[in-house]
Amino acid sequence: MDTTLLLEWTIKAVILIFILLTGFAYLTLMERKVLARIQVRLGPNRAGPYGLLQPVADGIKLLFKESIIPAKADKVIFVLAPLITVIPALVINAVLPWGRTVTVFGRQVSLYVANINVALLYVMAIASIAVYGVTLAGWSSNNKYALLGGLRSAAQMISYELALGLSLLGPVLLAGSLSLVDIVEAQRRMWYIVYQPLAAVIFFITSVAELNRAPFDLPEAEQELTAGYHTEYSGMKFALFYMAEYVKMITVSALFAVLFLGGYLGPFESQYPWLGPIYLVLKILVGLYVLIWLRATLPRFRYDQLMRLGWKVLFPLALLNVVVTAVIVVLMG
Amino acid sequence: MAQPTVAAPDLAARFPEMVTPDTRKGYSGYIVKAEALLDFAKALKEEFGYDYLSSVTGVDYLPQGLMEVVYHAYKITGGPPLVFKVQVPRDNPVVPSVTSIWPGANFQEREAWDLLGIRFEGHPNLKRILLWEGFWGHPLRKDWREPYYEGEHKPFKSRTAGPHFWHEDHNPFGKNVDYPPGFDPYTWEPETADQILYESVIQRTRKPEQEELHSEQVVVNLGPQHPSTHGVFRMIATLDGETVVALEPVMGYLHRNHEKIGERNTWIMNIPYTDRLDYITAMSNNFGYVLAVEKLMGLEPPERAQYLRVIMAELTRIVNHLWAIGFLLNDLGAFFTPALYAIEERELILDVFEAASGSRMMNNYMRFGGVVRDIPEDAWDMLVKLVHDRLPRKIDELDRFLTHNELIKSRTQGVGVLTPEQAIALSTSGPVLRASGVPYDVRRAEPYGIYDRFDFDVAVRYHGDVYDRYLIRLDEARQSLRILQQAVRDIPERGAPILAGKPQYQVRVPAGEAYGRVEGPKGELGFYVVSTGKANPWRYHVRAPSFINLTALEAMSIGNKVADLVVILGSIDIVLGEVDR
Repeated sequence: MDTTLLLEWTIKAVILIFILLTGFAYLTLMERKVLARIQVRLGPNRAGPYGLLQPVADGIKLLFKESIIPAKADKVIFVLAPLITVIPALVINAVLPWGRTVTVFGRQVSLYVANINVALLYVMAIASIAVYGVTLAGWSSNNKYALLGGLRSAAQMISYELALGLSLLGPVLLAGSLSLVDIVEAQRRMWYIVYQPLAAVIFFITSVAELNRAPFDLPEAEQELTAGYHTEYSGMKFALFYMAEYVKMITVSALFAVLFLGGYLGPFESQYPWLGPIYLVLKILVGLYVLIWLRATLPRFRYDQLMRLGWKVLFPLALLNVVVTAVIVVLMG
Repeated sequence: MAQPTVAAPDLAARFPEMVTPDTRKGYSGYIVKAEALLDFAKALKEEFGYDYLSSVTGVDYLPQGLMEVVYHAYKITGGPPLVFKVQVPRDNPVVPSVTSIWPGANFQEREAWDLLGIRFEGHPNLKRILLWEGFWGHPLRKDWREPYYEGEHKPFKSRTAGPHFWHEDHNPFGKNVDYPPGFDPYTWEPETADQILYESVIQRTRKPEQEELHSEQVVVNLGPQHPSTHGVFRMIATLDGETVVALEPVMGYLHRNHEKIGERNTWIMNIPYTDRLDYITAMSNNFGYVLAVEKLMGLEPPERAQYLRVIMAELTRIVNHLWAIGFLLNDLGAFFTPALYAIEERELILDVFEAASGSRMMNNYMRFGGVVRDIPEDAWDMLVKLVHDRLPRKIDELDRFLTHNELIKSRTQGVGVLTPEQAIALSTSGPVLRASGVPYDVRRAEPYGIYDRFDFDVAVRYHGDVYDRYLIRLDEARQSLRILQQAVRDIPERGAPILAGKPQYQVRVPAGEAYGRVEGPKGELGFYVVSTGKANPWRYHVRAPSFINLTALEAMSIGNKVADLVVILGSIDIVLGEVDR
């Protein structure tokens, strides 16, 4: 391992984090704009042209807000919880392939931070850590709403992780690899959404539930639990939860694109590898739009209905899908 | 109705010496002795079919030294009210509670205790409802004076004659407020806050014996600062897991003693004041109040005014139901999209209100004997287009988007069920009553204004759940459109008089009592007024539908999940301005 390689990794990681954080900021603006259009409104249009400076204004506002820690909260955990939530959300992105290799200043640079052979396992493992952040946030706030929100999300995330994990197995079986780069390359002939429509649907539904987004936003159900696990959070700590949610939205859309929509693949990509990231961004935008669209149009599930859906519908279907896929893969040789 | 109505003398003959007709000038009904009240009430309900107790309130007759409790009972099949009163001495007013016969009297008796100090013996939970524990006295009593007391009634002399001064200077803060003996708000610290806050709920749900599996019940306090209690409303819910086992609504955070202020005001000053009750349905509130006072004055508004009133009241109903549906969906977790679609139509109707009355929400449009001004011609064209084209289309659109949505169905069907028996017994009214399968609509049961001329159906649904309460609002909006289309067609030509007599600042109201009720969008909105012939009402009571519909909240909620609580509350459709008054 030479120094330049180490430098290259560092630079790539910094750029990735920069992209994710900017993406987060402008995703909030995109969400507000899209929601507004769906709701016959205009949306933010005061800060800068077309409201483009709105995320900056929001960020500055949140930075200068007083950060309140409730008197009876468990202070250490209360401060740690947002970090435990936001760091996994960022770290997951290390294995996402944004393209193949391109030449920069005469040097072959691969467009991903790490290509590890157990990438999907890594994704699942890191994603599970986020549950701790939410649960601990709810518990340490010493507030009934927050506790209920935290417990709900723990139950919800753990239940839906099973079906989520099983739905990932479809592409893995087809590609014969856990590496995301291999999975993308295996889709050169045909996107997996065609071979694995059921897995794609299950992956999408369960990942919306993992994100705690509408219609599965029970942990932060405003109407019942005020704001759920982050009721007591303010200022930058609140912003971290917010950031985690939106970065995870980007990650989930990216994962969906990688697993089922051929990732960075697209016309002329093999001649011009620089097109890879552009295709991926376009696919991510479509995913994000669907997530926002869902939020604008659907009411929320109730807790027991959510559990029923997860355990009695999605989990058996995902299991069935794995079995059928495995049998077909074996038969086709 | 085909049933023979019981003639008036019957009741006095049935309870000799206990029941006498009320012979005061301008009054009607019976006066019942307190000791015979329960027998009388039972006979009324079981023998004579007066199963629906609409209103209970008190009147303080200070000069006579009497405290009077006034009851208005109806038959659920329709017809005029049976009014009866109980008179008790002012210094020790004790009346037996009728909650065992009509459970719907619960909150209204608590209100009468709170504001007038009438004790109801046998009431299950007789404590203050609108005021707090540290309040001294009963403000609706005529000898109770508010902190910055200026005079018995408006217009206050101090503001119209002589040099002006601030009443606060004569009556500085700190010396003008009384607290109950031994109560000091600065040192008052409840020892066990949970005990004081939740006592009554905990008492009712305490399990008699130790269970094998020791499961703890959690008391969750929703509100008053809560995003979806539609204002400063509070619910104390006892939860077993996520299931509600007991619930008590707590209100009064927005209390301003509307009725006391109303008694200080002159008659006509109260019209804009009724706008502030249920601020979404101001027109309908105006209607109820002017109807009550017109009964006393014996006024009949001219034709065109009658039609204008109906048009405004029905538009208000559509506004309210659109709003209610939009925010019910919000309570279900739909992120504002349905609400904003519904509000778009509301804005157009408010344009018409603004053109006619000068204000979008606080309309102050009706007067005794008519309406204040005619609707301008361009606004009329707007209205005709709305009624014939846009609103029917948009209501169908809402119907199409929402009614068959799987998520909405699974969240609302079978949730918050209220049986017809409960609905009648708990004195609910409006969409809540009719969604439970009771086709009772004041516009049909006891037509007021010109409602007997219109061809419309009383909307009714039979499951009594949240879904039906949503559907019935759509049905009612459609029926309102039918009425509007007929009214727009039949209204007399522009230029016809819209006010009986001349506009006046001070009206003469003969002595007597009157109860005017309209079918407001949220239920039966009644105004009980007593006049002594002076410039101000002696008693001005509002039978607030959202307040009384809340009596049924616990019955609807028990056994449902905590997530449904907010939805059930949303399906009752309350406005805190009216609940707390």
